[in-house]
Amino acid sequence: MKFIHIFLIAAIISNFNFLKADEIKTENKIAKNLRCLICQGQSVYDSDSEFATSLKLVIRNKIQEGLNEEQIYSFLKTKYGEWILYDPVFNRNTYFLWLLPILIFLAGGAIILKKFYIRK
Amino acid sequence: MASLIGSYSLSFGLLFSVFIIFFSVRNLRDAEILDKKIISFTFIQFFFVVISFFGLIVSFINSDFSNETVFNHSHTTKPLFYKISGTWGNHEGSLLLWLLVLTLFISIFLLKSNQQPKKYRIFTLLFQQIIIVGFFIFLIKTSSPFNYIFPTPNEGLGLNPILQDPALAIHPPVLYLGYVGSSIIFSSALAAMVTSYVSKEWAKHIKKWVLASWVFLTLGILLGSIWAYYELGWGGFWFWDPVENVSLMPWFALTTLLHCILVLEKKKILTSWAMILSIATFALSMSGTFLVRSGILNSVHTFANDPERGIFILIFLFTLIFLSIFIFIFFHSVKEKLENNFFWLSKETSILVNNWFMMYFLSVVLIGTIYPIFLEVITANKISVGPPFYNKLILPFLIPFLVAMAIGPNLNWVKSDFKDKFYMTMFLIISFLLSALIIKQFDINFLINTILVTSAFFLFFSTSREFFVKKFRNISQNIAHFGFSLLILSILFNNIFSNEVITNLKIGETFKTEKFTINFENIEQEDEKNFKAIIGKFNVQNLDGSSDILNPELRIYNQPNIITSEADIKTNLLTDKFMTMNYVQNQEYFNVRYQVKPFMIWIWVSVILISLGGFLSFFKKI
Repeated sequence: MKFIHIFLIAAIISNFNFLKADEIKTENKIAKNLRCLICQGQSVYDSDSEFATSLKLVIRNKIQEGLNEEQIYSFLKTKYGEWILYDPVFNRNTYFLWLLPILIFLAGGAIILKKFYIRK
Repeated sequence: MASLIGSYSLSFGLLFSVFIIFFSVRNLRDAEILDKKIISFTFIQFFFVVISFFGLIVSFINSDFSNETVFNHSHTTKPLFYKISGTWGNHEGSLLLWLLVLTLFISIFLLKSNQQPKKYRIFTLLFQQIIIVGFFIFLIKTSSPFNYIFPTPNEGLGLNPILQDPALAIHPPVLYLGYVGSSIIFSSALAAMVTSYVSKEWAKHIKKWVLASWVFLTLGILLGSIWAYYELGWGGFWFWDPVENVSLMPWFALTTLLHCILVLEKKKILTSWAMILSIATFALSMSGTFLVRSGILNSVHTFANDPERGIFILIFLFTLIFLSIFIFIFFHSVKEKLENNFFWLSKETSILVNNWFMMYFLSVVLIGTIYPIFLEVITANKISVGPPFYNKLILPFLIPFLVAMAIGPNLNWVKSDFKDKFYMTMFLIISFLLSALIIKQFDINFLINTILVTSAFFLFFSTSREFFVKKFRNISQNIAHFGFSLLILSILFNNIFSNEVITNLKIGETFKTEKFTINFENIEQEDEKNFKAIIGKFNVQNLDGSSDILNPELRIYNQPNIITSEADIKTNLLTDKFMTMNYVQNQEYFNVRYQVKPFMIWIWVSVILISLGGFLSFFKKI
């Protein structure tokens, strides 16, 4: 009985630790994708400013509340605006940002192909 | 006194531009031989700029605070080395350095090009003079390094401490050699179009300049990266920061041009493309200066903000671009030989593929850097474009690029039989197994990482093999490509294997993780000439029983009053151990960041190998 008891506690603790390690990983991942708004070109993760420190706490709390990564991003986006996200959202404003490089790549490919067909 | 001399020699230098342009135009109509006067005048102009530059250096060494630039960027307690490097650690001085290199390079060009047609040399000089005059006016009108302040202040404002660093002291000159080298390529391309000299001979001659600029640009970027790694305190070496991107863009263009010139020196094809690249490289270098100096970019590096200066550079840049488009349309004639030029599996095709991908990477970085600026102007929406964007758009395309790079150099010019199929397939299989084995150990996305590492290994093996097969034939290209594979491998492994913790510790506290224990033993204070240092002593015990002592530092500079954090890094062949500590306001604990970063040194080594490749190619006889 005692053995099971200890085993259970051990399982809970290890499980808790495991969860925590996972949470820290998500927290870091999120912090790396956020701009520290008061710094000059640093992410929240990399900065030690007060803003970044408090934002890290906010992220931790939100994770513990059970929000997933996407939900946290959209929460921060409504609070601070898109400026905070290093990964620009794909929407009307950013169609060109995401698609123009791809279009240029395709156009380049087309030009090279054309060269072959004309030359032959 | 030194400032006064410097200021006058700048004006004299500009005066000589008038002489040079006058005699060059006259010489165009006259004789068949280049007028000796032109060469002498070019040297005299260079001489005046040198005097002016030394004038500024002397003012900095003497801490002559009647000079506004010295007052703003220096301080009597600063070490001599940083007084000198302070000369170009600011807007005015760095532009004077640009001008110095501009005049230096055109002098070298005139000396080294006596085998080339006279008209072509004069036109190159003329176009270069347009750029030089632009910079003279820019310097004298909007950003004179020799402004006088009265009454003379007793003490200067000091140089930003994060710029007081050996790597950053030589970073601007090296980078500028690369940037400004592209101006010669630009002028010479325009001259070659005007005089219909775009040919194999031209390619052979300009290749040296392309190589030299490329080597300097590569090393300049490397120095900046190394500095960011140990000085900015977050342990990264590349953040896709706009100012970093701005140096990477000309690098992409120049790398593309380098490969394109390799084709052009063998066959007269792709001439228009080479012209466009020559113009683009310089335009990108100039806009780099514009973007950094105007303060449009929100970035760690922007240490001089002034929109008015930005407008001048912008107008100047547009003038040059319009001039080059005009010349390209009206003077450039495409007379390429059309017979049996391209085959599917030829070296030329692989170079075209290289150009294709390079242009794609360039466009990603270009669009990612300037799109947010345009969006903000048009819609008032502020967005950030950071590492996730670049990773998503660049990494998938890196895979075919690496594979093409492995196969390309094994193809012959014109047509190849692809006889190395066996080895290549073997390498591919080995690379895949090796990568799968490594990636399996980690809790990361298996598919994309395995494919990425596989393609990097594939290039690594195939370039390694070439050392044995080709021996010293094409050694320069081989070293550069091998270096590139090593670079990608090191970056990937560095990302995958990195391990880090951030924690708050008081003196005497211990922090434990599965892999190491950090023991914060004590702190010491030291007084240096221009800062006070708080040095932490940390003992990190690893799992295998070994331990490291790390001493990260906090520096409190006197002028300007700024606290910086100096990382302590223990480097060996396999890993870097990186530690910084930061002061937390009104608390008795410190914020400590400890990172284990594998293969860090190999990132630097591989970039040095890449530039070494270019350097060796410089001495190759064609």
